[in-house]
Amino acid sequence: MMNEERRAFIKKSGLGVLACMGAASGLIPKFSLEKTVLPAWDEKQVPGKIRWGMLIDTRKCIEGCKECVAQCHHVHNVPDFNNRKDEVKWIWKSSYNKVFPTASQQFQSEKIAGRSYLALCNHCADSPCTRVCPTEATFKRWDGIVAMDYHRCIGCRFCMAACPYGSRSFNWQDPRTAIKDPSLAYPTREQGVVEKCNFCSDRLVKGLLPACVEACPQQVMTFGDLNDPKSEIRGLLENNETMQRKPELGTKPSVFYII
Amino acid sequence: MIFFGLTLVLFASLYAFMQDGMAEKTTQPQAQNLHRQVSVDSTKCIASKEFMRANHMRVLNEWRNSSVREGNRIFVAPNGSKLEKSLNTCLGCHKNNKLFCFNCHMYANVKPKCWNCHISAMETP
Repeated sequence: MMNEERRAFIKKSGLGVLACMGAASGLIPKFSLEKTVLPAWDEKQVPGKIRWGMLIDTRKCIEGCKECVAQCHHVHNVPDFNNRKDEVKWIWKSSYNKVFPTASQQFQSEKIAGRSYLALCNHCADSPCTRVCPTEATFKRWDGIVAMDYHRCIGCRFCMAACPYGSRSFNWQDPRTAIKDPSLAYPTREQGVVEKCNFCSDRLVKGLLPACVEACPQQVMTFGDLNDPKSEIRGLLENNETMQRKPELGTKPSVFYII
Repeated sequence: MIFFGLTLVLFASLYAFMQDGMAEKTTQPQAQNLHRQVSVDSTKCIASKEFMRANHMRVLNEWRNSSVREGNRIFVAPNGSKLEKSLNTCLGCHKNNKLFCFNCHMYANVKPKCWNCHISAMETP
């Protein structure tokens, strides 16, 4: 009887030691007996940790200035067909009643209703466009950016119907014919795909701020991580009265406005 | 007493590996900052000529999927050098020969769609 208990104890403690070693190697990489370098794990992004967002202080925005639009459209080879029907836009300026159609319109002060406002893809936390895409060509990235994978887009334009902000444009024609000064570092699109703002994910990966933020002479736009309570953008959101476009739709836009 | 002995044995057996792990840790760059540190190094090919001739399309497909969809933009070549997963990395060198892609594809009558959007060496001055 005694012997059997002793035997069981040794068995269990042996298992315990093994489990400890396993746990230690899992929790503390330097305890692992064999060094495991899996680049795919190493560099895989954690979904939902970061949520990039933008705050646009429309009070500082100069009427008629289109530096940000020009810079964005140049950097990303956005075509300009000079024609409303074929228009492709990533960021644009529009009137109060078009950008905030569901905000209070009656007896709105002339100063506010008369200005033009910047509009771009809101990179919604609950994005309707990514839900309807049949090929997952548009998808929610780990960092909150609603990205386009142009390789997969079949041009069905479901996403354009789903987007309540008109942030998506369709390439009715070959865009290459309408790019005056192409930037060689970024691809163009082809006829038959939908395109939109990518929150400059191509620049973020290099540690740069979005092109529009950098181009603005008035520092109207603040870009940052909405999930980081200590970020500059969260500080501004804390201390200012801000609004989103069509918040009642529940899309949770990541672009905020100070009116 | 027995637990003390067990922990002592455990510590003694792992001590060598702990040292090993610590030594290697310092030479490894932090994964978080990796994308900031890596520059496009187009001075060398990522694999042998024979491998790339047979498999460049697989490499490109894999690069495309992992960089666009998973955000894993760093490729670690078998020799340990790190490259950005981008067509521009290839072109950094191969655009010296403007016909690099086209010659072969024309001969083999293969029509990949890369250059519908990506800007090829043929279109750059």
